[in-house]
Amino acid sequence: MLLDVRDLHVEFRTRDGVARAVNGVSYRVDAGETLAVLGESGSGKSVTAQAVMGILDTPPGRITGGEVLFRGRDLLKLKEDERRRVRGAEMAMIFQDALSSLNPVLPVGDQLGEMFVVHRGMSRKDARARAVELMDRVRIPAARERAKQYPHQFSGGMRQRIMIAMALALEPALIIADEPTTALDVTVQAQVMDLLAELRREYRMGLILITHDLGVVADVADRIAVMYAGRIVESAPVHDLYGAPAHPYTRGLLDSVPRLDLKGRELHAIKGLPPGLTHIPPGCAFHPRCPMARDVCRTDVPPLYGVAEPDAARGSACHFWRECLDG
Amino acid sequence: MSENLTLPAQQGSTDGAPSTTETLLEVEGLTKHFPIYGGFPIKRKVGAVQAVDGVDLTVGVGESLGLVGESGCGKSTTGRLITRLLEPTGGRITYRGQDITHAKRKQLAPVRSEIQMIFQDPYSSLNPRQTVGSIIKSPMEVNGINPAGGREKKVRELLELVGLNPEHYNRFPHEFSGGQRQRIGVARALALNPKLIVADEPVSALDVSIQAQVINLLQKVQDELGIAFLFIAHDLAVVRHFSQRVAVMYLGKVVEVGDRESIYNRPRHPYTHALLSAVPEVRVDEEEQRERIRLSGDVPSPISPPSGCRFRTRCWKAQDKCATEEPPLVQISGNREGHLTACHFPEDPTTEARDEDVVLDPALKALEDSAGKE
Repeated sequence: MLLDVRDLHVEFRTRDGVARAVNGVSYRVDAGETLAVLGESGSGKSVTAQAVMGILDTPPGRITGGEVLFRGRDLLKLKEDERRRVRGAEMAMIFQDALSSLNPVLPVGDQLGEMFVVHRGMSRKDARARAVELMDRVRIPAARERAKQYPHQFSGGMRQRIMIAMALALEPALIIADEPTTALDVTVQAQVMDLLAELRREYRMGLILITHDLGVVADVADRIAVMYAGRIVESAPVHDLYGAPAHPYTRGLLDSVPRLDLKGRELHAIKGLPPGLTHIPPGCAFHPRCPMARDVCRTDVPPLYGVAEPDAARGSACHFWRECLDG
Repeated sequence: MSENLTLPAQQGSTDGAPSTTETLLEVEGLTKHFPIYGGFPIKRKVGAVQAVDGVDLTVGVGESLGLVGESGCGKSTTGRLITRLLEPTGGRITYRGQDITHAKRKQLAPVRSEIQMIFQDPYSSLNPRQTVGSIIKSPMEVNGINPAGGREKKVRELLELVGLNPEHYNRFPHEFSGGQRQRIGVARALALNPKLIVADEPVSALDVSIQAQVINLLQKVQDELGIAFLFIAHDLAVVRHFSQRVAVMYLGKVVEVGDRESIYNRPRHPYTHALLSAVPEVRVDEEEQRERIRLSGDVPSPISPPSGCRFRTRCWKAQDKCATEEPPLVQISGNREGHLTACHFPEDPTTEARDEDVVLDPALKALEDSAGKE
């Protein structure tokens, strides 16, 4: 077990009250495994990742409960300087917006090299040589020359490759990629996703892929965790989830995507809006939008039921998962 | 998945050749070059961004034409030229037989009320200091239109039509969510009973579940009110869902246009082919082999586009001819009526998996080769 997040709770204090962004999230990632965390904006998928990574802004954010076990150690109990050593060296993060994640006034080679200077205590010269090597590894053409260039001189896809190179620099055991291809065009998106998948295989890293795009997930993930209003509502191997969703929200999401193979029909939109995080509905948070909702859904919060078949590692937070699974 | 999905397809009459419908808008050789100034001490023109460079399009009455392409291909500029928010550098825009390419403000006024626009960003396209009522009312005020029963009544009807509560007339945009704001944008576009709506990425800022709601709304508007759409989007699945005809743009030019069946099932231009194969699909199917084409690099700069065919720098079929001769947008043999392709060496009309994947990206090629050796 590489990463084991247990019952994580995160809140934000806002003027409108306490926003409960993450309400008891648990997930696990093994070495070499890709977990996709799927959800709409405001579902808490990025906040969870930030808490795991230790880059949550506190305040206004506050971790109110849970454990983040990374190779058996609870990261939430570490001191900041110990935490910093873990971050970057053992786990790394790739962000959506590569342009704003890179320093605009520093050549990219220097930024990559900084990782080796800070964490490995290398000289600047050696670090730069390593940086060129890394850029070569993510197949940036003419890496030696391009290492001297600034972020704005690179295209979007190339910048995202540099972000990947930076994340890989210290060969971490876990990479968290937060919407890594959302800002890119489809043809470039395909390049970057393939690169990420190949490198993950090569280095045998664990990968957490945070996304709202059901299509991206289908291609690369082993397992999927679907989040809604700060909770995981369904967790399953990718195959099973697409084949037969065990939660009405997952089903709604799958039905509301226009697909290349089914065109021109009315889409099955999920009615209503996601709840505000300051006023999460009682019971199952999805019940006001759910076509299957009954009285019990309005009062009782459904636990993550084990869905025995076809895989024991499957869970659904729906009182009526069996019905949903049967369609 | 569920039995809900097996609804009968929409009336297929519009799926066929477009020639039967009456032409509403015709665009010929449309060009927009944005000048670049530089030099010291006297600034002079040193070049131009050739954002749109000779685009031909037609939109029939009540028809939806999808315009797809990657960022920087000029699809949004084309939309803005058609609504005359930008002044074209060259070419001709004909709306209902009337040349509006360089029409003056006064001449444009009657046309403007018939061509409306829906914008991508529902946050910046609504004035935060105006109530929803006055936002939707203002097109009528500007154009001096007094519908029967008064403007306020009309606004309430529009709110109802787009699925908002008419009681929210006096609320401000910040009180609505992204999807609801986009509905307000739709209501505003409908206020003048337009004949053509240019929708520039109307759903790409929205979440998946909300996206579906807005697409359904637009579809309802198109079906019930018979409004023609120029639907600009980068999402091929959304365009396929919404548009009867599709035009694919690359670097300021239309490379392929045709009805949706033909474009999606029998693409002939290598770029269309690559674009379709790059779309990640929402299904996991192991038996069905998917075609895989991985282009190398990014779209070249529109300041100095490649000579000849603009796609040749990323094309696996490119030959010497492609560098010297620009392929015309014509109907090539084996294509359906109205399916035009601009390519010297068109692809076989299929989207089946090929014997060998086309992987032009050197990074992936190298990775895959090294993985193969192990």
